[in-house]
Order: sequence, then C-alpha cells, then structure tokens
Amino acid sequence: MIKAEDIIKSYGNGESRFQVLKGISLDIEDNDFVVILGASGSGKSTFLNIISGLERPDSGKVFYDGKDITALSDNEVTSFRKENVGFIFQQYYLLPNMSVDQNVKMGADLADNKDYKTIIEAVGLGEKLHKYPSELSGGEQQRVSIARALAKRPKVLFLDEPTGALDEQTGRQILDYICKLQKEYDFTIILVTHNLNIAKMADTVIKMNSGKISEIYTNETKKTAYEIGW
Amino acid sequence: MLVGIKNASKLTGISIIACCAVLICTMFVNFYFDVRLIENEITSELSMIFYHAQVSTVKVVCLVSGGCMLLTAVVMLLFYIKHYIDTHKKELGILKALGYSNLKIAKSFWVFGISAFIGTAIGYAGAFLIMPRFYALQNEDKLLPEIAINFHPSILFYFVLLPTVCFSALSVCYAWYKLKKPVLLLLKDHLQTAAKTPHHRIEKNRELPFVEDLKRNTLKSKKALVFFIIFASFCFSAMTQMSFSMKDLSSEMMGVMMLVIGLVLAFTTLFLAITTVISGNTKTIAMMRVFGYSQKECCRAILGGYRPMSYIGFVIGTGYQYGLLRLMVDIVFKDFEDVPVYKFDVPVMLVSLVCFITIYEILMYVYSEKIKKISVKEIMIE
Ligand SMILES: Nc1ncnc2c1ncn2[C@@H]1O[C@H](COP(=O)(O)OP(=O)(O)OP(=O)(O)O)[C@@H](O)[C@H]1O
Ligand SMILES: [Mg+2]
Repeated sequence: MIKAEDIIKSYGNGESRFQVLKGISLDIEDNDFVVILGASGSGKSTFLNIISGLERPDSGKVFYDGKDITALSDNEVTSFRKENVGFIFQQYYLLPNMSVDQNVKMGADLADNKDYKTIIEAVGLGEKLHKYPSELSGGEQQRVSIARALAKRPKVLFLDEPTGALDEQTGRQILDYICKLQKEYDFTIILVTHNLNIAKMADTVIKMNSGKISEIYTNETKKTAYEIGW
Repeated sequence: MLVGIKNASKLTGISIIACCAVLICTMFVNFYFDVRLIENEITSELSMIFYHAQVSTVKVVCLVSGGCMLLTAVVMLLFYIKHYIDTHKKELGILKALGYSNLKIAKSFWVFGISAFIGTAIGYAGAFLIMPRFYALQNEDKLLPEIAINFHPSILFYFVLLPTVCFSALSVCYAWYKLKKPVLLLLKDHLQTAAKTPHHRIEKNRELPFVEDLKRNTLKSKKALVFFIIFASFCFSAMTQMSFSMKDLSSEMMGVMMLVIGLVLAFTTLFLAITTVISGNTKTIAMMRVFGYSQKECCRAILGGYRPMSYIGFVIGTGYQYGLLRLMVDIVFKDFEDVPVYKFDVPVMLVSLVCFITIYEILMYVYSEKIKKISVKEIMIE
C-alpha cells in the first residue's frame, strides 16, 4: 500500500517562489488502477515524480508498506526504485543506440528476469526484436517502453500521459495492453492524464486542481477502452 | 551566423594542442634557420659534428612532435564538428528543411578555425619568449659560434596563418560533407547508425547482460573517443618516460619541456574525451537512474569500457618512447664517441605506470561523482 502524507513542493526562489503541491494526502491500495486527472500545470507530474521516488518533497512523507521513502538516502532511493517501480513516459525515452531487445533488457536485468522475451511478444513486438527505436512508429516505441517497464516486474507502474503522443486508436490499444498485463502480472497502476475517457477505465480517479486534490471517486464498473468506445 | 564564437570556444583542446605544437616547432625551426646562417663560420671538425647532431635533432623533434600533434588537432577538429552536428542535428535539419543550402550552413563553421589561430598565435609568441634561454642551452658548451635570434617571416606564415586558414577551410568542407545527408536523417534520432549496424553482429552479443551491452555500444558509437583515450595515455606514458630517460642524452630543459607537453596533451585529450562521453550519455545515465541502476553500474557501463583502452595506450607509449630514443641514439649521435649507452629504464616505467593508474582512477572517481549528480529529471528536459 502507498500512503502520501501532506506533500508540499515549491519551485523557484524568493519572489518567483511558487507552491506547486499544497499538501496532498492520499492512500492507494495494492493492485489498484488509479488515474490522476487535472488541468495542465496543476501539479500532476510533480506529484507522480514525488510518490515514485524520482524527486523529494519539501515536506511530507511517502510510505510504501509503512516504509518512508523520503527518509532514504539517494542510493537507497535508487535501489528502492530498482525493487519496486516501473515508469512509462509520454516521450518514451528509449535508448536510441540500443535495439528493442536491448532496451527491454535494461529493465529485465534489474529483476534478473530471464524470460523477458515473452513480454516483448505480449506487446506484439516479437518480430521487431532487433530494430532500433528510430525504425519504429510512435505506438511501437511506446510498446517497447511498456515492455521495458514490465520486464523489471514492478510492484507499481507509473505512467505520465502514456498516450499523449499517440493517436486515439493506438492509445486505446496501449491501454488495453496495460490492463491485460495488469491482470496477468498483478501490479498497481498510477496514471496521469488529461483524458476523461481514460478515467472511465480506472478503479479510482483522483482529480487535482492547482496543487490540491479536489475530488476522489471510485468507478463501480471498470470498462475497457473499447467499451468506452473513444 | 549559425555557428557562433561561443561554440568555437569549446575547442580549447585544439588551441592547447596547437599552442604546444607551434611552441616547440617554432623554437626548433627558428633555431635551425639561425644555426644554418652560421654554418660557414664553423671551423673545427668537432663543431661540425655537433652542428649536424643539432640539425638532426631539430628535424626529428619537429617531425615527431609536430606531426603527432598536428594529426591529433585535425582529428579533434573533425571530431568536434561531427559532435556539434550530431548534437545539433534537429536545429540543422530544420534549417535545411526551411531551405537553407548546405553551403550556407557549412560556411558558418569557419569560426572553428579561430581555435587554431588562438593556439598557434600564443604558441608562436611563447616560443620567442623562451628562445633566448633555449639558444643558450643548445650551445651550452660553446662548441658553435654565437647564434643570434632572427625573425623569419616564413615561420609566422607556415605555423600561424596557414594552419588557421587550413583549419577554417577544413571545418567548412567537413561540415558541408556531413550536412549532405537528407533532411529526414538529420531530424530523426540516430537513424543512420541504426541502419548501419549489421544484425548478425547483435545476434552474437544477445545474451550479454545489459550493462555489458551498453558498455560495448558506448565504445562503438564514438570511435574517435577511443582514439583520444589511447592517445592520452600514450602521451602520458611516452612523454613522462622519455623526459626522465633522456636526461643523459639531452639538456634538462628538453626533459622538462617534454614532461610539460606530455602532461598537457594527455590531460587535454583525456578531459575532452571523458566530458564528451558523459555529456553524450546524460540521457542514458538519467534513464538508468530512473530505473534504479546504481551509480556504480552507470559508471561501469559508460566509462568502464575505456579503461582497457587507456592501458593499451600506455603500452604503446612505452614501446614508442623506447623506439624513438633508440633511433635518436643510433642516428643523431652516431658520430659521437662518448654517447651514453641507452637502456630501457624499468624503474622509470614503473613509476610512470603507478602515476598513470593513480591519476586515471582519481579522474574516474571525480567523474563518477559527477554522474551521481546527474538528476533523474534530466531526461524530461528536451
Ligand atoms: N523543475 C521545475 N522548476 C520550476 N517549476 C517547475 C518545475 N517543474 C514543474 N514546475 C512548475 O510546476 C507546475 C506544475 O507542473 P507539473 O509538470 O506538475 O504540471 P502537470 O499537471 O503535469 O501539467 P501537464 O498536464 O501540462 O503535464 C507548473 O506550473 C510548472 O511550471
Ligand atoms: Mg505533466
């Protein structure tokens, strides 16, 4: 279980100091599918970076199963990330000099995962094992980054606008992959988006507004992307 | 102007090397011209032999050190231009897409020649500062008549103006050649390197762990850097050993000069190489940190591959200095009667090796701390 306690984060100094997160508290259950919604600039990415251990809050704590990760040293946070989390970003951030296989292996090696190739198959890239990112379409690149994140068998998967750079149909496909894989491998999903349709696929929806949580609700019946039909 | 003076300022490495090369060559060639003026005044046989020895030393030193450094400076220049184009691919691609011609973009690369001018000019001026002392030392035993320092315009032309013009021209030509690619190749990341790598080669390395794979990839993707690392340790090993072994064969000043130049060359190239390795891989390192690779693993993957290369450079340098000193003893001093016997100096080699390893490891440590400071948010900055 993930527990955030009164997270505060500001950027800038002096006059231009600006509070991005104004005290956020939140509980997330294991194997939940959480979507964080909010307008641009409301602090979604900042919050995601903090609860995933990429960034430190100014004050407040983040607990994973009772362990406070904000109290860890840099090396300890790194090894925490190694053990627990996976990331998928809007811009993919694949290593351009490495093939699909090697990119996925980057994640797999961290978990000593020897059969990561099944995950490449699962995202439908079995044929493109030795292609380089520049030889793939945007949707294929995003699938590589999904495979890379899942190959390290994360307990929590963080996604920052994973479909932002994709067309609707590809975006839908990607999300359905992720949901299917969640059933198979059991992990928590925390996804940031602008897209209200994606929120219909979630178990829990968190709405953010200028650095605060404005609403939390749970979807009784979760839908697949195709059922929503966007 | 598309490429500004600010970009050219990154080429201090070239300036430093050009400065060293011109400093030595100006001093020796100026001496050579001046000593030739007094050739007719030489009367005794002993003086004549000494005269010829001096003239041969000049030739050997100029050819070897000048040639060596010229080559490095040229490789460095080409490397910088390529690196510049690689890192500014997108901007350059957009300019081309907007309709700028290759030549128009390439022309602005002439500013890279300024680095050569700064270096050679400083080297040339420096040479004239040291020259009085150098002349005195060369003729310490007064075997030759008094040698006066003269100004030779041709040296200024060949060692300062010509290199500047050539480096500028080379920059423009090379940039033009590099820019000839289609716009799309410039706009899209690494499409070319990707297409060039044959697939069966990857197949072979398939089962390597990721960190090892990345290590090889880093080495392969920038071969010029491998050259620089080898060259840096080569300079260090050859010049330090030579400067100590040469004590009996030449003046102390020569030894000190060798040592200083060796160290300057070694550090400049090593510094250039490591900083480009790290800046070129910042995103990779940040991504590895995001995923939870430790600092040690990042260093191993990015910097580790160069360690064997540096040892290879050291070995080559050791062999080179031995060969060169042998050659000098055998050729330059062949007419002398009491030439000191030259043997390979093991203690000097060991001291040099220990210093080398210490310095290299300290540098690696410093840079691994730098790697540690790379923020994981670095990847999000486009
Ligand atoms: N490193 C930084 N330095 C200064 N300000 C920052 C930094 N990162 C984010 N901000 C500011 O924090 C605010 C929230 O940024 P954040 O990226 O969290 O928004 P977001 O909700 O993810 O927006 P979007 O939907 O556009 O991605 C913005 O106003 C941004 O300008
Ligand atoms: Mg964002």
